[in-house]
Amino acid sequence: MLKLMKYEFRKTAFSKLILLSITLLSEIVYLLGIFLKKDVFLSSGIMFLVLCATMGILYIGLESVTVLHRDLNTKQSYMLFLTPKSSYQILGAKILENGISILITGAFFAALAAIDAAAAYFYVGGLKEVWNMVNDVLYVSMHISVDPVSIAFAFFTLLASWISYIVSADFAVILSASVLAGKKASGVVSFVIFIILSTLLGMGLDKVPALESRELTFALYIAVSLAVSVILYLISGWIMEKKLSV
Amino acid sequence: MILESKEATKKYGSKTAVDHVSLKLESGLVYAMLGPNGSGKTTWMKMTAGLVKPTSGEILYQNQPIGKESKKEIAYMSTEPYFYNWMTVADVGNYYADFFEDFSMEKYQQMITRMELTEDMKAKKLSSGMMAKLKIAVTMARKAKIYLLDEPLNGIDLLARDEIMKSILEAVDPDVTLVVSSHLVDELERVADAALFMKDGHLVEQCMVEELRISRHKSVVDLYREIYGHGGEAVC
Repeated sequence: MLKLMKYEFRKTAFSKLILLSITLLSEIVYLLGIFLKKDVFLSSGIMFLVLCATMGILYIGLESVTVLHRDLNTKQSYMLFLTPKSSYQILGAKILENGISILITGAFFAALAAIDAAAAYFYVGGLKEVWNMVNDVLYVSMHISVDPVSIAFAFFTLLASWISYIVSADFAVILSASVLAGKKASGVVSFVIFIILSTLLGMGLDKVPALESRELTFALYIAVSLAVSVILYLISGWIMEKKLSV
Repeated sequence: MILESKEATKKYGSKTAVDHVSLKLESGLVYAMLGPNGSGKTTWMKMTAGLVKPTSGEILYQNQPIGKESKKEIAYMSTEPYFYNWMTVADVGNYYADFFEDFSMEKYQQMITRMELTEDMKAKKLSSGMMAKLKIAVTMARKAKIYLLDEPLNGIDLLARDEIMKSILEAVDPDVTLVVSSHLVDELERVADAALFMKDGHLVEQCMVEELRISRHKSVVDLYREIYGHGGEAVC
């Protein structure tokens, strides 16, 4: 399984390297803004870093779906399916590698944001006042008190939910390459299936009850998202094992 | 008997690529799988390699259905290139070493040297002849029980063919089974113990090459012409 994951990582290593390079450049711009006290650099740096974080996490998920599509629909599929590994292992390695990549990227950008905020606080100052102001506004208008733990929980809830959408997309791609293979409009049908699944997933997550503890509610969200991912993974693996011809 | 195909059938929509093919393969024999394009050779090999699932029927390797375990002992060489774009010749060897316990890196390195390939060559930039050599090297560097080689001489010039066939035959132990498909019937006749003739998805003929020569005074080429030249089915 680890060897499969190593090669899954290798397939997307180039785009991850590009993301890292752009992030590094944005970080340099941001730090220049802080040390030179230049607002243009500071705001540009923040904007690019936020874009890198959001687009990067979205792209890593979407790229994994395109890699799966290529691995099922081109001759490169032989590289995977000639190996003495079950479909569950092959798909599991893909989902795990992607899930870990998304979580690590998320954690990386969260850590970077914390470091950058600390740097801004020490060198520019005034950040604490802004933070308190945002907190006050949110508390007065929405009775939400923002604290770092809640932000971290909310962030990882979003990541877990994003992973479940990616696994839904994987499921649709697998359906298209197996059960629907060779049938007319298989791509359209699988896309419709993905939309339906995503809608159901969204509706299901909306039904997660709000508990007294916000952290527990977030934890429940994460648990539901991961449970949906596991269920879809098991069904997808079974379909690949029984129906997939490459 | 090491492998049995029992009424194996593969349909793609309304097209039947392999139609109720039943055959048994014995250990230690070289089989020539013959037939024109679209006769079902590749699909049957892919089913045996575990890449394609039969629509009906089954293929058994040592009395067990094809799957994860059989892939450890059946080596398949596809006619099309299938390596990842980023791979070099060295990466291809490392990949096989990572996944196949029977892969010998030493043998692989000997074969690529013999085939005038170098480890730093990019797989996607190889000519069709060089690619064919790389596929043969990486497949034959496994110590498999069955080798399925789909058109291994495709893209290889006349002078190199003998060398390739020699490399293939030298690389296998006497007790292994080799199934080679090719359009080059006369090339295969010299090395094959048995011939399997596919036509329109059916196995229309199977016979031992020596027996064919002695009892019917025919070569495989003669039988090939008889089957495909006149559209009929021959009887051994």
